[in-house]
Amino acid sequence: MKTIKILFLLSTIVSTIGCSDLEENPVGILAPESFFSSLDDLQVAVNGTYGRVGHEDIWGRKFTLTIMVRGDMVDIGDPTTAQRRIDHNDFTVLSDNGMIDDFWPAMYQTIAAANQAIAGAELLDADEAEENEIIAQAYFMRAFTYFHMVRLFGDIPYLDTPVTDIQTASSIGSTPTTEVYENIIADLEFAETWLPNTQTTRTLPAKATATSYLSLVYLTIGNYQMAYNKAKEVIDNEGTYQLGLESNFQDLFDSSKQDASQEPLFAIDFQAIRNINQSDDGTDYAPPLTGIRSDEQYDLGGGWSVAVPSLEVFDTWDDRDYRKTVSFDATGIFNGIVEPYTVFTDFNTRAVNRPHIAKYTRFIGATANGNGRASETNYATMRYAEVLLIAAEALNEINGGSEEAHQYVNRVRARARNGSDFPADASGLSQDDFRTMVLEERRLELAFEFKRWYDIARRKMGTEVFGSTGFEGQKANFDVGRDYLLPIPNEEVLRNPNLSQNDGY
Amino acid sequence: MNHKITIALLLSLLYHFISYGQESYELTGTVTSIETNTPIPGVSVLIIGTSSGSVTDFDGKYTINVNSGDVVQFSYIGLITKNITISGQTTLNVSMEEDSEALEEIVVVGYGSQRKSDVTGSVSSVKSDELTAFPVLNAAQALQGRAAGVVVQSNNGGEPGSAVNIQVRGNTSINANSDPLIVVDGFVGAVFPQANDIESIEVLKDASASAIYGSRGSNGVVLVTTKKGRKGKLSIDINSNYSVQNITNELDLLNADQFAAYQQELNPAYVQGPANTDWQDLLYRSGSTSDHQFSFSGGSDNINFYASANYFKQEGVIINSEFERVTFLSNIDAQMTDKLKLGINLFGSRGAQDGVPTQSTGQTANGGGDDVVSLAFRFAPDLGILNENGVNTINSVGDDVDNPFAIATEGINETKTDNYRANLYADYEILNGLNFKTTFGFSTRNQTNGLFRPSTLRITAGDVGGRAIISNVRNTSVISENYLTYNKEFGKFDLTLLAGYSYQKNTTETSSAGAEGFVSNTFSFFNLSGGTTALTPTSSFSEIEIQSQFGRLNLDYDDRYLLTATVRRDASSNFAVNNQSAIFPSAAIGWKISNESFLKDNSTISNLKLRASYGVTGNQAISAYQSLARFQTVLGIINGNVVGAVVPDQAANPDLQWESSYQTNIGFDLGLINNRISLSLDYYNIDTEDLLLADASQPEYLGFLTTASIRNIGEINNKGFEISLNTRNIVKDNFTWTTDFNWSTNTNTVETLIGGIDVFLDASPGYFNTENTHLLREGEAAGVFWGYEYRGVYQGGDLPEGTATFAGAQAGDQLFTDIPDENGTADGVINTDDQKIIGDPTPDFTFGITNNFTYKNIDLNIFFQGAVGGDVANLTAIQLDAGDSNASTDILNAWTPTNTNTDVPRVALRTEKILTSRFVEDGTYVRLKNIALGYTIPNTVTEKMGIDKVRVSVSGQNLLTFTDYSGLDPEASFFGSGGSGGSTNANTTRGFDFGNYPTVRSVNFGINVTF
Repeated sequence: MKTIKILFLLSTIVSTIGCSDLEENPVGILAPESFFSSLDDLQVAVNGTYGRVGHEDIWGRKFTLTIMVRGDMVDIGDPTTAQRRIDHNDFTVLSDNGMIDDFWPAMYQTIAAANQAIAGAELLDADEAEENEIIAQAYFMRAFTYFHMVRLFGDIPYLDTPVTDIQTASSIGSTPTTEVYENIIADLEFAETWLPNTQTTRTLPAKATATSYLSLVYLTIGNYQMAYNKAKEVIDNEGTYQLGLESNFQDLFDSSKQDASQEPLFAIDFQAIRNINQSDDGTDYAPPLTGIRSDEQYDLGGGWSVAVPSLEVFDTWDDRDYRKTVSFDATGIFNGIVEPYTVFTDFNTRAVNRPHIAKYTRFIGATANGNGRASETNYATMRYAEVLLIAAEALNEINGGSEEAHQYVNRVRARARNGSDFPADASGLSQDDFRTMVLEERRLELAFEFKRWYDIARRKMGTEVFGSTGFEGQKANFDVGRDYLLPIPNEEVLRNPNLSQNDGY
Repeated sequence: MNHKITIALLLSLLYHFISYGQESYELTGTVTSIETNTPIPGVSVLIIGTSSGSVTDFDGKYTINVNSGDVVQFSYIGLITKNITISGQTTLNVSMEEDSEALEEIVVVGYGSQRKSDVTGSVSSVKSDELTAFPVLNAAQALQGRAAGVVVQSNNGGEPGSAVNIQVRGNTSINANSDPLIVVDGFVGAVFPQANDIESIEVLKDASASAIYGSRGSNGVVLVTTKKGRKGKLSIDINSNYSVQNITNELDLLNADQFAAYQQELNPAYVQGPANTDWQDLLYRSGSTSDHQFSFSGGSDNINFYASANYFKQEGVIINSEFERVTFLSNIDAQMTDKLKLGINLFGSRGAQDGVPTQSTGQTANGGGDDVVSLAFRFAPDLGILNENGVNTINSVGDDVDNPFAIATEGINETKTDNYRANLYADYEILNGLNFKTTFGFSTRNQTNGLFRPSTLRITAGDVGGRAIISNVRNTSVISENYLTYNKEFGKFDLTLLAGYSYQKNTTETSSAGAEGFVSNTFSFFNLSGGTTALTPTSSFSEIEIQSQFGRLNLDYDDRYLLTATVRRDASSNFAVNNQSAIFPSAAIGWKISNESFLKDNSTISNLKLRASYGVTGNQAISAYQSLARFQTVLGIINGNVVGAVVPDQAANPDLQWESSYQTNIGFDLGLINNRISLSLDYYNIDTEDLLLADASQPEYLGFLTTASIRNIGEINNKGFEISLNTRNIVKDNFTWTTDFNWSTNTNTVETLIGGIDVFLDASPGYFNTENTHLLREGEAAGVFWGYEYRGVYQGGDLPEGTATFAGAQAGDQLFTDIPDENGTADGVINTDDQKIIGDPTPDFTFGITNNFTYKNIDLNIFFQGAVGGDVANLTAIQLDAGDSNASTDILNAWTPTNTNTDVPRVALRTEKILTSRFVEDGTYVRLKNIALGYTIPNTVTEKMGIDKVRVSVSGQNLLTFTDYSGLDPEASFFGSGGSGGSTNANTTRGFDFGNYPTVRSVNFGINVTF
């Protein structure tokens, strides 16, 4: 009997635990089908786009460093830095460039996150207006990302829905540049319609963000009337949108003051936080890339002297311009002693004897990793000053040398003076002179803010700025037929031969 | 021995003769075994032609009354019977030899056991004495060189507590792991017990043997059987070992003066530092292991038991690295009734590892910043531990890194692992020949890792004010198996049938938390709230359930023809919805030719058997939830706050399935001269299909975080040949000599990749700028080295035919082969098009040879083990040639305009650290793995002390290594890498030598006492 009992007991155990439908019930894993149940979930899906842009692959380093060194304002410092960086500076980029290989997928991951959020709204049974206000952010982020991509690569694969059929999506052709721009404009118009006038923070896009980006998009494609209209719309409603110029230019780059500033239209937020696995989520590398090697002045452990403007950029910038003071560090502290830039290499052979960029090291708050990595900086992707300059540049093309255009520039210059008498107000310039002046103003006002390359490409200034009189001297490899666009990653073209590679690569 | 002794005890109860007779006298003596030199109880001692006899007692002693001229017969099952004529002596000690023909070795197979002679598959068996020949940290290490076709390597040299990698018959996968399934006393997926507790290890190599484990069998199955108690008196065993360990060698590096001169060649502004430090000397010490085992076993008629406790401690040869472990094991079996047997196996262990960082993961400061072994090579020798300000030095050249001494002594990396396992069984004989066995087991493994980097490590954690992370992993497994075994003889047929059902559930839970910015460096990781900045905590959960049915048929006709057929059906939760179950069949035949009439009486050929098998096994390979569409959380920050944020991670893949291996095995076993010589040869061919490959053909613009989705596409082939030869060269009363030799070769070929496109992998340290280091290419072995072919030093002027340099090179730089394009034109400059296959890490063959000698009470074991023909890429040498670190003394012979006849290029910065054939070397080695000398104190001495046996031994491990490899040790492994691809795994990125914990040489003293 005892035996039978034991066997019975064992077989009971077996039948209790041994029956399963083998269905996977993932815990702690997110499945798209079950994810969207509230507006909050929709916002979480939208937040994925911000998270992705805040990764090292995009705003943290790969993308921002790429367009920084491609321009004429930032040169390579440490000559032993990775070749993939030098190739952008020297226009020797090949189609397997490691910088592009990293930010290309990350950009599309941002777009996929936006697409997923937009599609997620359809799975929700919520008030449409409330839904639209949230997914308008996703529309904005999709446009924001495609706008970068189309300027960098021209014709690109364009997807605006989540991918479910991998095979079909893997063989689409490139969408022509003009069509991409049409889509970007449509997305921004949706965003403009549904985003609120103001958000609680500039790290979320508001109505004026979409409108301002529309003006920049129009400026880029040469539709100056619309560029002006959109910029004017923002300027006319600056009160409603709570926009204005920060009174002290330095405060724009002070992490403790950025949150309260009325100037940014949209900012990528970094908060000195890293994942426990020390991944590059939320990690900005601009501080170490631009910082001075072995410099003690900000107690960051020194930077890496990778992205350092040529001496010409510093020397040609009028010392009286307060923005120069904010933008540069011409001294460092070594062994407790302040030393001029002319002896930086004495303290570290990988430094360079040039003034270094100060915008991303001077007031960056806490850092979560050595050399200033993972700071608390907010990176404004557009500031109100730029909107004023867009309005000025566009208006000048419509109505050469107009007084109104001068006024926009002078608002920016007034702040730059910071109590001094330089730069003086502009006045009475011809259309051509104004155009030159406003592009110069953009160069200085927005120095090192990842804008200059796009201006060079949009205005086709390469031959001039990379010629022998350019800041970085003759760039022998610069090719106008090739270098305004980057190569689409070669592996991507191999994976989908229907994609067209850009000329010269 | 189990059986022999049990039977002997029965015999001693049955026979109870009292000899008597006239004119007779008393003969006494001891019967011992030639092989083990231990007394044999229960030997029948009989005077031929009479009914008078005796039986040896527990100490092998007998007393019998004899007359001169009597012939006394000593017999015992499994031993060769001896007849000795008495000629007046009063003492007669006899040593008896095992009769290999009669002794039927029992081999454990899945869900049962078989006579070795009945096995039709390919099974290697390693017994307890081989496993305990020298002390090992992990019983798996004791398998190295012991079984043909089984390759064992430490994941990290001689690191205390390092994991061990076992590979059976090559790597049958690319992305899935190639680790065999470990089954301990029937518990699938258990951890290895302690070596002294193991009775035997069987390695199931071919599909016939392993298909009974279905979707988990394709990497082979390692069956571990722990010791059981046996009927008889209580036996107490004490084993104590102590060893002293040292590194095998050091690299010759520049001293401070040489280093400063070298750096000044690169940078005239370099100022020599104040010290002269040999970082290797600072880092290494003399290490030790102590291993103490206490066990007792015994049994009555109905219950037998075995219990042991073991304490192992190792102090590594790198300062501050330690490992300590306590293990308990207990096996109890009870014969409740004639028909019912119950039993329980219990196992528990606690391991505590204090680690120092080795094998750079590239995830810390600047990538590769905290790996003490490579830093000891890299770090400037002209710096001391502390600088003039009294803080830890950081390197004066290259990337900023902390000095290795500071990292080793100030950081904490402590891993505590608890393993508990309980397995109950009930075995009931329903009918004669029909048994039902049910088992129920539970195991849990809890691991806690604490990591602390104080702010005094300026680069690693200085800027963040110290960093502490604590992480936990809990694995739980529940298993229930039920099977019927039926055995019946029908005439000349002997049939065994097995049918069963199995259910197993494995769960894994993880969590971690961390903080930075500690006000004090005294907190270690035990006060995370003392940090000013919290790191994002993590946690995860996954669960896999497997339901299986399995069956086996063994048919034996007349002990001549054997047939084995198995099948297993696995349904598993991690398989995708469209493929949720899989069937794995196998079949094998055997022909015992030696039992045929024409060979039966052949005195030379004592055994000859042919074996052939074919079958399918699987590799689960798919991780839980891998086939589902998923989101991934990312770090989103809005308005300075962390917010929930997700991005699409992967699309659903409802067709994902296991990898399948189709294996053919042909072998034969030959025994000559009473099996004095026994030889096994096996040939196998394994086609593995449906390999899970990351489909890199999926464009990245699709926007999934996992840029390449996993699909069942690839095919890989392994074929090989194995030889096992065991000979008993000399078997005399006082002297025996036996030799065990095994040799195996495996050829691995990648057959199919996605679209036939080469797959490049990167296994270099994160801070190396080389990106493609290993290649998967159809028609080549998996993971061959990819790089530039070095052709010597460029002497200036015209380039030698077929060579070129990188752009901008000058005399003294490196020359490489300039590979012509498809039109046959070489472009005259070296670029990425000039890379080629420059090495293959897979050895041509591996072997092990053991010689055992016994002379009276002395035993000697000499074990050589080796691997021939595998290449090693010496990444350490690449670093030491790059100019941004210290250099090996080879650099003193660098090219200069006056020293042109050299293979070493000029002193220059080569910070890209690319892989070239200059750094690929032949890693062939032959190693004296173990030499052990033992002495058993004669019984006559020990028995007075009431001790059965005392054996003392001295042994040495890794005392000699024959190799031409210029690095520290050719048995290198560098798996950890933050390389750009992150595409590293043990299958495809082997053969790199960089920063791994050094292999150690040890001298060991042991004592074994049995009461």
